[in-house]
Amino acid sequence: MTVEDGARPPEQTASTQATVTPPAAQRSTGLMHSGVGRNLGLVVALVLLCIVGVITAGHTFATGANVLTILRLAAVIGVVSIGMTFVITGGGIDLSVGAMVALASVWATTLATQQLASDLHWIFMVTTALVVGAACGLVNGLLIAYGKVVPFIATLAMLAAARGLAEIISDRKTQIITVNSFVDFFGGSLLGVPVLVWIFLLVAAAGWVLLNRTTFGRRTFAVGGNSEAARLAGIKVQRHTVALYVLAGLCCGIAAVMLMARTTTGSSTHGQLYELDAIAAVVIGGTLLSGGRGTIVGTVFGVLIFTTLNNVFTLNNLSISAQSVAKGAIIVIAVLLQQRLAARATSQ
Amino acid sequence: MNDLLMMTGIVKEFPGVRALDGVDLDVRAGEVHCLLGQNGAGKSTLIRVLTGAHQPDAGAISINGEQVQLNSPTAAIQRGIAAIYQELDLVPELSVAENIFLGHEPSRFGFSRRHEATARAREILQGLGHGEIPAHRSVGSLPAAGQQVVSMARALSREAHLIVMDEPSAVLDPEEVANLFRVIRGLTARGVAVVYISHRLEEIRQIGDRVTVLKDGATVATGLDARATPTKELIRLMTGRSIEYVFPPRREILSTAPVVLEVEDLTRPGEFAGIGFTVRAGEIVGLAGLVGSGRSEVLETVYGARRAATGSVRVDGVPLRPGRVQAAVKAGVGLAPEERKSQALLLDEAVFKNITVSSMGRFASGGFLNGRAEREAAAQLTTALDVRPAGVEYPVRNLSGGNQQKVVLARWLLRECRVLLLDEPTRGVDVGARSEIYALIRNLSANGVAIVLVSSEVEEVLGLADRVVVLREGRAVHIGPAQDIDEHQVLDLVMEGSAV
Amino acid sequence: MSARTRTFATAAIAGLGVLALAACTSNTPKAEESDNAPAPQAVAAGKNDEPGQKVRIGFSAPAADHGWMGAITKATQAEAKKYSDVELIVAEGTNDVNLQISQVETFINQKVDAIVLLPFDGAALTPVATKAMEAGITVVNVDREFDSPFAARTTILGDNHGMGVSAGTYICQQLKDKKDAVVAEIAGIDSLPLTQDRSKGFKEALADCGLKVSNRVAAEFTVESGEKAAANLLQAAPKIDAIWNHDDDQGVGVMAAIKNSGRKEFFVVGGAGSANVMRDIKSGNSLLKATVIYPSTQGADGVRLARLLVQKKALGDLVEVEVPRTVQLYAPVVTKDNVDQYMPTAFES
Repeated sequence: MTVEDGARPPEQTASTQATVTPPAAQRSTGLMHSGVGRNLGLVVALVLLCIVGVITAGHTFATGANVLTILRLAAVIGVVSIGMTFVITGGGIDLSVGAMVALASVWATTLATQQLASDLHWIFMVTTALVVGAACGLVNGLLIAYGKVVPFIATLAMLAAARGLAEIISDRKTQIITVNSFVDFFGGSLLGVPVLVWIFLLVAAAGWVLLNRTTFGRRTFAVGGNSEAARLAGIKVQRHTVALYVLAGLCCGIAAVMLMARTTTGSSTHGQLYELDAIAAVVIGGTLLSGGRGTIVGTVFGVLIFTTLNNVFTLNNLSISAQSVAKGAIIVIAVLLQQRLAARATSQ
Repeated sequence: MNDLLMMTGIVKEFPGVRALDGVDLDVRAGEVHCLLGQNGAGKSTLIRVLTGAHQPDAGAISINGEQVQLNSPTAAIQRGIAAIYQELDLVPELSVAENIFLGHEPSRFGFSRRHEATARAREILQGLGHGEIPAHRSVGSLPAAGQQVVSMARALSREAHLIVMDEPSAVLDPEEVANLFRVIRGLTARGVAVVYISHRLEEIRQIGDRVTVLKDGATVATGLDARATPTKELIRLMTGRSIEYVFPPRREILSTAPVVLEVEDLTRPGEFAGIGFTVRAGEIVGLAGLVGSGRSEVLETVYGARRAATGSVRVDGVPLRPGRVQAAVKAGVGLAPEERKSQALLLDEAVFKNITVSSMGRFASGGFLNGRAEREAAAQLTTALDVRPAGVEYPVRNLSGGNQQKVVLARWLLRECRVLLLDEPTRGVDVGARSEIYALIRNLSANGVAIVLVSSEVEEVLGLADRVVVLREGRAVHIGPAQDIDEHQVLDLVMEGSAV
Repeated sequence: MSARTRTFATAAIAGLGVLALAACTSNTPKAEESDNAPAPQAVAAGKNDEPGQKVRIGFSAPAADHGWMGAITKATQAEAKKYSDVELIVAEGTNDVNLQISQVETFINQKVDAIVLLPFDGAALTPVATKAMEAGITVVNVDREFDSPFAARTTILGDNHGMGVSAGTYICQQLKDKKDAVVAEIAGIDSLPLTQDRSKGFKEALADCGLKVSNRVAAEFTVESGEKAAANLLQAAPKIDAIWNHDDDQGVGVMAAIKNSGRKEFFVVGGAGSANVMRDIKSGNSLLKATVIYPSTQGADGVRLARLLVQKKALGDLVEVEVPRTVQLYAPVVTKDNVDQYMPTAFES
């Protein structure tokens, strides 16, 4: 290879390379990274579950009402999981989601907030929940990005603190929502689909666009994949990390509003163990727990698989304990599959 | 002649790639057998087969004349084969002795016998001529060379007859390399065979006995005399071509060219002090010095990745806010860092995403990315830089070192950088691709980019740079035109007064 | 599922025309025989136990992370098995209100006849229970009350206030001569209304005989928390005459802490009425001298009442033709003298 080779004119190389790389090779890698190919296993799992549901409880399972029941259950944890997907893709973890849901629900249903809401508009309750969620996320993010606290520890602290604060504010009592306009709006339906389900769909769609079509999403992958490289490439890694946790907190605020509408209450016991449900859904969806790879579509499937599983078990009068066993098995199988696929992808 | 190791007709296929296509290798007891080949020639795969990490699809391996199956790393270790990898596989928190006996701790009834371990570790280290390394120190606190000695001690503790060393000199200073060679000679004197992999031909001449050359997954020559075979011949075997001139001809820098980068009195206590130099448009300034002389630290401080205690960095006369990478990037400064994989690349992401990561704003409107425009812009650059394989959708992980470096350069080309900081731009890049990188760097400077180059290879600094800054222990001991100084003088400056 | 439904339907139809025994042979014969044997004595009740229209009942309760809660589900399932005309669908065990709501929604989709619901949080489950009522499903609320009268047809409650009164009265009787007696209280989860009710009743009953609660700590209904709370209490009070512990589950931990301290100068009154505690009381060589019952058969009663409501039957021994709106259960004190009477309904924690 001579000097002249190095400075070879572009046109010439372009023509030689066209023959070097068959287009098929490119397409196949493209498919691996596209939604359909990677989520195939999840689609199969969900379809299998539905088949089991139809066979064992066809007359109630395959009804519109039951589908809506599944979706309504999926909606709350789904929104939390979307936020979790961003955090995990960005190389972090958030253990405080359930506690943030509880705190936001309590804060948005205090007498003062409800008074304001009934005097003016229910939007104040919604705003309160979103602000509380985002603020908790901000604290998480600042601690992690600037305080250099490990995400696991920082959010573990938030898990304890937020639920504790929720208990203090509510005096561990259930706060009943008396603002009827709030309940009517979020408890209602639009075009035959519950508003809660619409919110879930909207959040999921927005999350997909944000992760896959924007600079924010690209930076999330970069920060999660190799934060040092991202920093040296000129990305504001710390600020982005903060933004990711704020986003997760915001999702928890939204979930809190949804849970408030569903239960007509705010309570410090809301959202128990949501962190585990959300992490499980995100991981079986195909998002890498170590960061750098994430999929919103996978997460949505993960949530639907768990809620459908729950529904099928309930319809068949099976115990929650058996369901937990099935859930554990699904997590392990999904992660094993994921590792196999990853190993095949890197060994090439 | 009795061969210790005999590999014949080794074939290894991965989906879509035939990584090894009939490799032969024979290693004798007590020799240093050098393995030469460009990146992607199959050296790493061959080592992985030899150490039991990969199973060959065809071919035979025999040790001391006995046919063996190395179907796991454990099996290889039991056969007396040990490997020292480029990225050392030590546990930094554990002590030297614990690392040496990791996995086969001296124990009785499940209780580890720490005194015995320490004593035996000391023995082995002394045998390697490094009795000064304390067996109880944590490995993370040792310098790179010390860690390498620990790696070797570990291999010996398992009574290895054959030690594979993958680019052991890459992280070492000349002084440390000399030390390493002493250790290797000690090993071979005891009948241990060493398979030595390096990109540096001069090292192979110094330490090697015989050479095997790989190209495209096959052995093209074996049993060559490491000292007598001419360089041209080796390069011809590796590349299929012969390389005459590695460095492109120097161009004259106009004294009227504007000064782009001004570094003044830059200091970081404990790392470097009072560093100042200027770079004109189209000029290449080389920083020469040993590892630990502060050369990479200077570069990272100019870039804002480290915060200077005092001093200033100006681009086009405008001072940069210290300690802010974004400020430097905004002002048109780019860095190709020393550790490409861990500091520059998103290995699992597509080539085009790695190229556009620093210029995303250009392809976005309202935060939404135009993927098509990104791919087109990236494709233009990869074509111009001859990145192989072509195609911007491949994960960067699949590319060779040289092509990965091109991707990093493409990133800054896309940003139309005014200043480019290159830290070891040819580390882990094979000889053929090196000259391409050299030509690329020269082309960039010809287009008016101000370049600062750091390299541990003095001839690379002298061959590429217009002016040279020699660093010793954090201070600039010489600044002057590259033509006025030769390799020996630089080495004298670099070594003078350094603790030997 | 559908096959099973059909079996049940057949059984129910058969039961309508033929004698009760005919139905028994087609289903769970053992349970039925043992239960039906004494029935004819009370005419009204006997009539009620005769198989009638088939009833599908959905049952949902919080996670069985507590002996009493586990007993609730077990007793409910056992009761349902006694009736050939009852099909019980159990969506057991969750502390996530979101999930419990969806379980009730599933029951509505399945078009069950009745739902027996022990909500994790009464207020949070009110909307979905109301929805079920609006869909024509009979909802029987157990233990934790909804906050709307439209959410349930009938509510079955324990008597938390009464528990406190019973415990306080018993301690008064035992300590009647000691005016400066030290009485301690180990409460359950302090923020729950049920805990507040128990404490209130306890305080009132003690006040009647001139005593007061000198030391009060709160645990969380778990063994571990009981141990911790009791250890703290014993540190805080060097001399105690009587302790009331709200809950026999956490009581296992309380007794462990007392044993570790080696103290014996006081007696302990329990709460809820676990079989363990009753055995201790019977043996007489424990510091535990009494316990106050909080019935773990509320869910079972819920199933019975739901069946009557769906089959439009009246409650036996009541003149009124409708099942009452609220049934509150009594909280008796169990001592060595009467323990044999309560042993059969005690729950194993």
